[in-house]
Amino acid sequence: MSAAVLTASALGLSRNEADRRFPHAEDPAALVELRQEIFDTLKGGMWDRAWRVHDLEAMSEVESTYLVERGLMTPAFAEATGEGRGFAVYGAGEASLEINGVDHVRLLGFRPGDGLAALWTLLNLLDDRLETVLTYAFDPRWGYLTTNPGRAGSGMRVYATLHVPALMLTGRLAGAAVGALGQGLSMAPLWGGAGGIIQVSNAGRVGRPEKEILQHVEDISRGIVEKERSVRKMLLRESAVQTRDHIGRALGVAQHSWSMSFPEAVTLVSAGQVGLELGLADIPGMTATSAFGLISRLQPAHIVMEHMDVKTGCLESPEIDEIRARLLREEFAGAHVRS
Amino acid sequence: MYIDESPDWNIENDGSVVCDLCGTEPATMHLLRVVDGVVSHTHLCPGCAESVAEENEGLALVLAVPSVLRHLGRSAPADETPPDPPEREERFCGVCGTTLTDLRESGMVGCINCYQVFIDYLQTSFETEGEPVEHLGKMPLRGPESDALKHEMMRLQRMLRELVECERFEEAAGVRDRLTELGQRLDGDPS
Repeated sequence: MSAAVLTASALGLSRNEADRRFPHAEDPAALVELRQEIFDTLKGGMWDRAWRVHDLEAMSEVESTYLVERGLMTPAFAEATGEGRGFAVYGAGEASLEINGVDHVRLLGFRPGDGLAALWTLLNLLDDRLETVLTYAFDPRWGYLTTNPGRAGSGMRVYATLHVPALMLTGRLAGAAVGALGQGLSMAPLWGGAGGIIQVSNAGRVGRPEKEILQHVEDISRGIVEKERSVRKMLLRESAVQTRDHIGRALGVAQHSWSMSFPEAVTLVSAGQVGLELGLADIPGMTATSAFGLISRLQPAHIVMEHMDVKTGCLESPEIDEIRARLLREEFAGAHVRS
Repeated sequence: MYIDESPDWNIENDGSVVCDLCGTEPATMHLLRVVDGVVSHTHLCPGCAESVAEENEGLALVLAVPSVLRHLGRSAPADETPPDPPEREERFCGVCGTTLTDLRESGMVGCINCYQVFIDYLQTSFETEGEPVEHLGKMPLRGPESDALKHEMMRLQRMLRELVECERFEEAAGVRDRLTELGQRLDGDPS
């Protein structure tokens, strides 16, 4: 069984410049000026790693979707338009920066597995350095002021990705969702619910310090994952044949498909991961912790960027499903359910 | 890979704010369910949400989020007893032009001045039971000293409340003295 509680961790920090109106209410020229100011800062020598600035106007849909799939950009920012927007990636993708989205700046960090504390350490540091050139909008009572007052305060959004297919299959997720909501967190399926992968995040404004918010999200997530693990054990105890059958069929489909949609692929990998974690399946070359990385690589823009001609490839190409099926066949070669 | 925070999360923004089930209590959560491919949205009060969660056998997918926009709408007394139209129109921010209606509809303010202009409305909207709303987390390194003092006082006030609740009165007295001292410093601080 995997020791990690979170399948993936992500953090966002929203900040605004005190002397300017928020992006939706500001003049385009002022937003362009602010973006240039920030870009100049990113080129400076105060950073441990280099920032790479991306030209959003020259970016194709495949490239922006690829950034979203890697957790470097939020879907809302990728879909939005407007003057003065900017984007930059820190180092090899340890963090990223959205400029003039809903707020003037939003620092983002994403990594697989349990990594909330490490992400906070990094983003907190980057935030301090940005503050040496930006005067943040802040009020002692309200905290960091954001475009959406419901997000004012820490300006921090914590995202914990959880793998809970057994809770979803047995209809127990609603109870967990209502429980999380009662604790001030929201819960939503990440890829339309495929593979039982959900994301828990802090929902509304609270005055708590950032580390308490992180701990709170981690504690609630741990409770949900423990419930998932106990339901899996119950399924194995009370429905052993059906559980083996479910996992075995998933392995069979993964080994013999020639075209595969992304949601179906997520569901199959998820079943394989459960098989590994329960000790029911052998999948050479795959571990429970590497499953999420495999899912990431099966996303449409990842396939176009890594296996197709980026210049001609598009996200609607049927070739994507064929390549995905081939990758799965390779990954699941030799996989079987233990008897 | 982040959840797509689509407007569907606040789908009923212009509609009812009472619980879909009991029809009397204010709805504070939004459940999205997908059962056999059919999507349904339900707005529930906490009591009904618990009973729904217990009854949902075979539930395939669920999304549960509080609606900030709905919360804003619910908290606005103006929605229940319409104020004089001219007075309502007068409430706008002189810096960015955001009106109270804009804020209600979009849930967004246009600048930091809006936080002062709409302070009553925002305070009412974000009152939550049991959760401190005063910001006790990180603060800018380059802010004025008065901000740091206020921040420290809010932290101590929270500590004082917790100590009194735990009946640790001696420690509470120490915190109270420190608060008095900081209050005096703040009063004498020209910034």
